[in-house]
Amino acid sequence: MSPVTYGWLVLAFPLAGTILISLLYKRLPGRSAGWIGAGAILGAFLSGLGALSQMLAVAPEQRIFEGSLFAYARTLGVDVDLGILVDPLSLLMVLIVSGVSFLIHVYSIAYLTSDAGYSRFFAYLNFFVFSMLLLVLAGNFILLIVGWAFVGAASYLLISFWYRRETATKAGIKAFVINVIGDVGLVLAAFLLFSETGALSYAEVFAAAPEVFSPNEGVIVIACLLILVGAFAKSAQVPLHTWLPDAMEGPTPVSALIHAATMVTAGVYLIARTHPLFEIATDAAAVAAIIGTATLFIAATIALVMTDLKRAIAYSTMSQIGYMVLGVSAFAYGAGMFHLMTHAFFKALLFMSAGSIISAMGGEQSLDRMGGLRKAMPFTFVVFTIGALALAGFPLTSGFFSKDAIIDFTLYRGGLYTVLAIFAYAAALMTAIYSFRLVFRVFFGKKCPEAEELEAGHLHHADPVNPATGEPEGTDVGFPGEEHHIAERDWPMKIGMAPLALLALVAGALQIPGVTEAVTHFLEPTFAGSEYLEAHPTVAEEWRGLAIGGTIAVIGIGIAFFLYIRRPQITPALQARFGALHSFLAHKWYFDELIDACVVRPTAAFGRFGRNVVESQLVQGVLVGGATSVVRVGTSTVRTLQSGYLRAYAALLLIGMCGLALYFLTVSS
Amino acid sequence: MKAPTIDYLAFAPILATLGGSLLVIAFALARASFVQRVVLPGLALVSIAVAAAFAVITWETGDQTTIIEGALAVDALALGFSLLVYAAGIGAIALSLRSEIARDAGRGEYYALLLASITGMTILVAAENLVTLFVGFELLSIPLYVMCAAAVRDERSLESGLKYLIVGSVGSATLLYGLAMIYGATGSTDFAGISAAIGTGVDATDPLLLSGIALAITGLAFKASVAPFHQWTPDVYEGAPTPVTAFMAVATKIAAFGVILRLFDDALLSTQLQWGPALAALCWVTIIVGNVGAIGQSSLKRMLAWSGVAQAGYLLAGIVVGTRLGAEAVFFYLAVYLLMNIAAFAVVIARERVSEHGDGLRSLERLGEASPWLAWPMTIAMLGLAGFPLTAGFFGKFQLINATVSGSYESLAIAIVIGSMISLAYYLRVIAVMWMSPREIEIPAAPGRASRKVRPAEGWSPEAGAAAQPEVTAVAVLCAVLVLAIGIFPDPLFDVARDVGSSLAGFL
Repeated sequence: MSPVTYGWLVLAFPLAGTILISLLYKRLPGRSAGWIGAGAILGAFLSGLGALSQMLAVAPEQRIFEGSLFAYARTLGVDVDLGILVDPLSLLMVLIVSGVSFLIHVYSIAYLTSDAGYSRFFAYLNFFVFSMLLLVLAGNFILLIVGWAFVGAASYLLISFWYRRETATKAGIKAFVINVIGDVGLVLAAFLLFSETGALSYAEVFAAAPEVFSPNEGVIVIACLLILVGAFAKSAQVPLHTWLPDAMEGPTPVSALIHAATMVTAGVYLIARTHPLFEIATDAAAVAAIIGTATLFIAATIALVMTDLKRAIAYSTMSQIGYMVLGVSAFAYGAGMFHLMTHAFFKALLFMSAGSIISAMGGEQSLDRMGGLRKAMPFTFVVFTIGALALAGFPLTSGFFSKDAIIDFTLYRGGLYTVLAIFAYAAALMTAIYSFRLVFRVFFGKKCPEAEELEAGHLHHADPVNPATGEPEGTDVGFPGEEHHIAERDWPMKIGMAPLALLALVAGALQIPGVTEAVTHFLEPTFAGSEYLEAHPTVAEEWRGLAIGGTIAVIGIGIAFFLYIRRPQITPALQARFGALHSFLAHKWYFDELIDACVVRPTAAFGRFGRNVVESQLVQGVLVGGATSVVRVGTSTVRTLQSGYLRAYAALLLIGMCGLALYFLTVSS
Repeated sequence: MKAPTIDYLAFAPILATLGGSLLVIAFALARASFVQRVVLPGLALVSIAVAAAFAVITWETGDQTTIIEGALAVDALALGFSLLVYAAGIGAIALSLRSEIARDAGRGEYYALLLASITGMTILVAAENLVTLFVGFELLSIPLYVMCAAAVRDERSLESGLKYLIVGSVGSATLLYGLAMIYGATGSTDFAGISAAIGTGVDATDPLLLSGIALAITGLAFKASVAPFHQWTPDVYEGAPTPVTAFMAVATKIAAFGVILRLFDDALLSTQLQWGPALAALCWVTIIVGNVGAIGQSSLKRMLAWSGVAQAGYLLAGIVVGTRLGAEAVFFYLAVYLLMNIAAFAVVIARERVSEHGDGLRSLERLGEASPWLAWPMTIAMLGLAGFPLTAGFFGKFQLINATVSGSYESLAIAIVIGSMISLAYYLRVIAVMWMSPREIEIPAAPGRASRKVRPAEGWSPEAGAAAQPEVTAVAVLCAVLVLAIGIFPDPLFDVARDVGSSLAGFL
C-alpha cells in the first residue's frame, strides 16, 4: 500500500470509532467504549507506522505523496479535491498525535470509569482525534479549514464535558469564541491567497507564491498575519491566550491531549506548513517570533505564582508553545517541530500525573492544600519528576535538546533575534523554577491529611465540589463521577504514563547535535525549498548553547530547592515585599480584564444597543410614538397596533428610497 | 394588427401552473371530503410536476429564445429559477396538508392562490420586458397578500396580510414609477432595447435613468427583504400561517433575486459603476441589520425572518459584482437557501402544532431526545445557514465570497464573513436548545410583545412525535439530507449554476 492509502486509513479508524461509539453508546457495557476508542486510535497509529515504513523505503526527495479521494468541488476558477498530503511533516504530526492520543485513551479508560458520560467522552475524544488528523493531513486550505473548525468544535464539547458546571460551559464558550476569531483569520487568509494565486492546494499555492509575490509585499504580509491570527488563537499566544487556562475545566485527560499535546500545537504546525509564505513575508515571521517570545516570557512569569495545579501547567504549556512559535518563525523548523514532539511527551505526562494527584486529593486542585505525597504515590512521583526534569531542560532529558536547539538558532539569526534569545533564556530559568516548585510543593514538605490517609491504604473521597468555585455539586450525568482513580491502583493509567516517561527521558537521543539529528533529516524533504535549510549554527555553537541551557536548568532547580525546601518561609516574605508584582502576576497580567474592557464590554454594549435602542426604542418607541404606545401596542386593539407600525414602516421605506434617489442623483451627470 | 405567435412548448410551464390554478378552483366546488383533502392538493402537485417536467424538457433542448414577441425569456436562468420556485411550491403544499389554515381559508382557494403566485414568480424570473416584469410582480404579490391572511380566525394572520398589502402597495407603486422612468429615459421597455440604448442614445449617468433605477431598486429590494426596506419581514413572517411563511420566505426571495439578476446584470449592466456602490452599501446594511436583529429573538419565525434578511444581504453581494461568477453564486446560494429554510420551517411547523410554546424557541426544548428525526434536520439546517463546512451552506457562502473577491469587492467578502460569525450566536442557540438541558440556556424574552401561551392545535397532543406527521418530517429530512449531500458532492449543483450563469450574455 502507498503512504497515501495508509493516510486514509489513519483518518478512517478514529472516524469509525466515533460512529461506532455514538451508535452503540446505550448498549456498550462497562469499559468497552473506552477500549473501542483506544483500539481505533491504535489502528490509526499503526497505519501511521505503515506509512512511515513505506516512506522510508523511497529516496528522501520523493517522500512527498499527494492523493485525493474525489474532486470535492470544481467550478469556475475553484478546484478543490478531497485530498490529503502525506509528507514527512504531516507524518511526524500523525505519529505524535495518534501515539500520544492512544496512550491518553488508555489512561482515560481507567480515569473516567465512574463518570456517567463515559461513552460520550470516548465518542468526543475519537472525534477530536479524527479532526486533528484531518487538520494535519489536509492537502489544501479548504480541508485544513474543515479540520481547524472541527477541532475547535471538539475542544468546545470536551471543555464543557461536565456541562452541569456553569464554569465549564462558560470556559467552553470562551474557548469557542476565541477560536472562531482565529477561524475568521484563517478563512480570510485562504481567500486572500486564493485570489492572488488562483489555487487552494498547498503545492500550487507554494509553487505560485514566489512568482506572484515580491518579498515583504503588502498582500503576502497581510495574508501571513491573518494566518498568524488563526495560529495564535488555536495555540493560545498573547493576546488570544486567555481561553487556555479556563479550558482546564475539562476532564484532565482532555487537558493532556487537546490543551497540551496536540490541538494547541496546531498553530506551530500551520506556520511550519506555510513556511514558503513566511519566508517571502519575513516581516510577518518577525512578528510571529516577537509574539512567541512575549508569550513564552509572560506565561512563564504567571506560572511562577499560579496556585492551581492544572492552571500552572496550562501556563507552562503556553510558554512552551511560545518557544515552538519562536523556533518555526526563526526558520528553525527541525528544532521547532522537535520541541513540539518532546513537549507532547512530557506535557501529556505532567497532566496525566496531575490527574492522578488531583484524584488522590479528592478533586482538590490547589497547591496550597497539597504536600508530602511522595511516599503515598511513588509511581506518580517518579513520572511527574521525570516530566518536570524534561520541562526544565535538565541535561540529557528530551527537553534539554529540543528547547536549547531553538534558542541556539534564534541567537544564530542575530539582530533582533539576539534580544529574543535573551528573553528565552530568562524564561528558561523561570521554567526550571516553576516546574520544580510544583514537584516540591506537591510531593515534599509537610504531609497533607490526604497523603496520610493514602499511606494508610485509604483513598480520600471528599464530597464533590467544583474546584473553581467551591460549590457543592452532584455526581450524576454532567458532573465528574463520585469515585477517583489514581495511577498507583489502576493499571491502565500506568500503561498510559510509563511509555511517555521513558520517551520524555530518552527522546532527546533522536536529535543530538552533530551525532544523530534524525528529526531534522527526516523533515528535510518538506523543507527542501527553504533558503534557511543550510543556514544553521555549527555543532560547536549548538553544544555551547546546550551547556548554557543545562546550567540554567540546574541553577533554576537549585533556586526552587532553596525557596521551597530549604527556606520555605522566604516565598511568603517575597510575596509580601513585592505585593504589587505578585498580584499583577497572580491576576495573569490582567489580560482577562483588558480583553473584557476593550472587547467584551463594548460588544455587549453594542448588542444591548441593538436590542434595546434599535428594536425597542427606535422602531417601537420613537417611530411608533413613544414608550406608552409600546404597552398599548402589545395589549390594546389590533387597529392601534397596525396603524402604528405601518406608518413607521412606510416612513422608513420612503426614507430609504429618498436616500437611494439622492445617491443616484449625485452620481448622475 | 397581427397577434403575436406563441411557442406553446416553451410557454407550457407557465400555462401548466395557471391551468392548474383554474382546475383546482373548479374542482373545489365539489364538497366531498375526499376531493377536498386529497384531490385538490394532488391536482396542485400534479400541475407543478407537469410544469417542472416541461421546464426540464425545454432546458434539455438548450435553446435560448424569447417568446411572445420578446416578452418572456426561455433560457437556463428562467428555467433554473422556475425549478427552484416549483420545489418551494411542492414543499409548501406538503407542509400545508394537515394544516388548519387550508381548511379555514377554503382548500380550493388556498391551493389556487398558491399556484397563481407560483405562476407570477415564474413569469417574473422570465421577464424580458418591463411590462412583463410588473405583471409578474403583481401576480406574485396579490395571492400572497391573501394567503398571509388565510388563517381568518387569527388576528395576527389578518394583521399580517393587511400590513403586507399596504406596505407592499407602496413597494409596487415605487417600482412602477421607477420602471416608467427607465422607459422614459431609454425609450424602450425591452431589456435588450434598454441595454442597447444605454451608451448609444442615453448616457449611463442620465439623471432620469438613474432616478428610475433608484426607485426600481427600492421596489425590488422590498420584495427581497433588503434593509432598510425589510421592516415588514419579521411581522409578516410571524403573523402569516407558517406554511405560507415558508413559501414566502424562499419562493419570493428566489423570484426577487431572479429578476434583480436579470434586470441589473443584463439590462442595466452598463450602468454597473453607478448602481454598484449603492447596492454594496445596501448589502452591508442588510447583513448587519439582519444579523443583529436575529439575535435575541425568541420566536423561531421571527428569527428566521431576520436571518432571511441577513441572507438577502449575502445574496445581494453576488448581484453587486456584476460578473458571471456572481450570478452563479446567487443561483447556487438560492438553491441551498431553499433547502435549509424549508427544512427549518418544516420543523417549526411540526413543533408549532403540538407544543404549547407555539413557534417559540422553547418549543424545541430537548427535541434531540424526544424526536431526533426532527432535531437532526433542524441542526443541519442551522449549521448550513451559518455556513458550517460540510454543509451546502458552506459552499454557498464560499461561492459568494469567491465572487466578491474576484470581482474586486473585497469589503463585501469581509461583510459576509463578519455576518456569518455574528449569525453563529443565534443559529447555535437553536441547536443548544434542542440538545442541551434547559438549565444552561438563556432564552430571551420576546421584545415588545407579551409572550403568548398557545394550545396545541386541534387533535394534537404535546407528546406527538415525528411519526405523527410523516409528510412534514419527510420534507425536513429530505431537505437536510440534500443539504449534507450538496455539502459533500457540490459538483452537480455547480454544473447547473454554471448553465444558469451562462445564459446572461452581457458578461465577459
